[in-house]
Amino acid sequence: MSKPKQSDYKASASEKANASVALAQKNYFDDVYLPRQIQMTENAFQDEDTLIETAEGRANADTMQTLTSNPNRNAVASVNTEADLASALSSMVAQGTDQGYIGARGDQVGSIKAANKMMSDTQTGLSRIAKIEGTRDLSIAQANLNKSLGFMKGVTNIGKGIAYRAGFEQGKGEDEGIG
Amino acid sequence: MAVLSTEDYYMGMTSAPIALGSDVTQPTRRGSANFDQLNLPTVENPDQVFADITREDYASYINNFRGFENRLLSKTDDTTLIDRGRKTAATQAKTAAEIQARNLERYGGGGLSQAQIQQQQRSAQRGGQLSMANTVNNARIRQRDVNQALLRDLIGIGQGVNSSALGGLATAAQGKASRDAAFKNAKSSYRSGLVNMGTSILAAFAL
Repeated sequence: MSKPKQSDYKASASEKANASVALAQKNYFDDVYLPRQIQMTENAFQDEDTLIETAEGRANADTMQTLTSNPNRNAVASVNTEADLASALSSMVAQGTDQGYIGARGDQVGSIKAANKMMSDTQTGLSRIAKIEGTRDLSIAQANLNKSLGFMKGVTNIGKGIAYRAGFEQGKGEDEGIG
Repeated sequence: MAVLSTEDYYMGMTSAPIALGSDVTQPTRRGSANFDQLNLPTVENPDQVFADITREDYASYINNFRGFENRLLSKTDDTTLIDRGRKTAATQAKTAAEIQARNLERYGGGGLSQAQIQQQQRSAQRGGQLSMANTVNNARIRQRDVNQALLRDLIGIGQGVNSSALGGLATAAQGKASRDAAFKNAKSSYRSGLVNMGTSILAAFAL
């Protein structure tokens, strides 16, 4: 029967490799992907106006190009030209606003979804740590209890031994007295 | 010339397809020779590292993303489309009027009578108002759609948050229950051990 050695409980090569690779990948993620994820989120919120203005500008330019590239005398003399132009521009620019706004909102929602997914993984990780630490603490408590119980069992056995011995001696004395 | 073993084959360390036991001239362990040169970090205390990383990740989430999340949450009653639509309609009516004025100048009034010019102005005014009403009404409808879509997305995100939180609480509760049960068992084992020990000592001295 040998005493437990710390070396018998050391991590195997594959466990060490697993931990090293996992930590390296985690550091890589933190250094490379996390800053970009933060940047993407910042951009998604900061660029809302820019995206809208870009889409509006393009819609405005396209409409202007189509409707005002040929300013002839008939167009000038027409009663409805100005009203039609205003209506078309408003309608097209509003669609540009829509496109930019929806695009920006999509980016914002996407980035917050990604952040929450990461948060969910973090929370799962915290739960697992709690479980790991709980299991370890309980095992340590159990080990300490086993130590105490082992001591008690030893004392109990000694007590039993003494009692048996005393009983035996007593019986022997009585037998000799009878004899 | 290396000979493949079954272990190599199943570990995926070989360049397939190669028959088991056959001689090969190419490297048998792709990249394995470089593994030790990668300077990978040594993890002495994996549970502590795991705990530290996840706590840092939570702090990172709070510092880097929570503010943006709150901004997104506040956008469910956003009116950007309506506000911009109103502004756009007014701006475009003004732009169209300026274009018309420039064109009239270019064509020397276009031969329009005073009555025609007045009619043109009335038409432009009416068109501008209709355009404003049309743009803003459409913007209201679209704004509602976008805000509802955002709410749907946020509710989806919220479900995930709730689920993760409940999962965490369940783990905490499970841990507490396990500890309580283990403590009760330990107390009862200890008491039983003490009783056994006491009775055996008493037996030893009573005889």
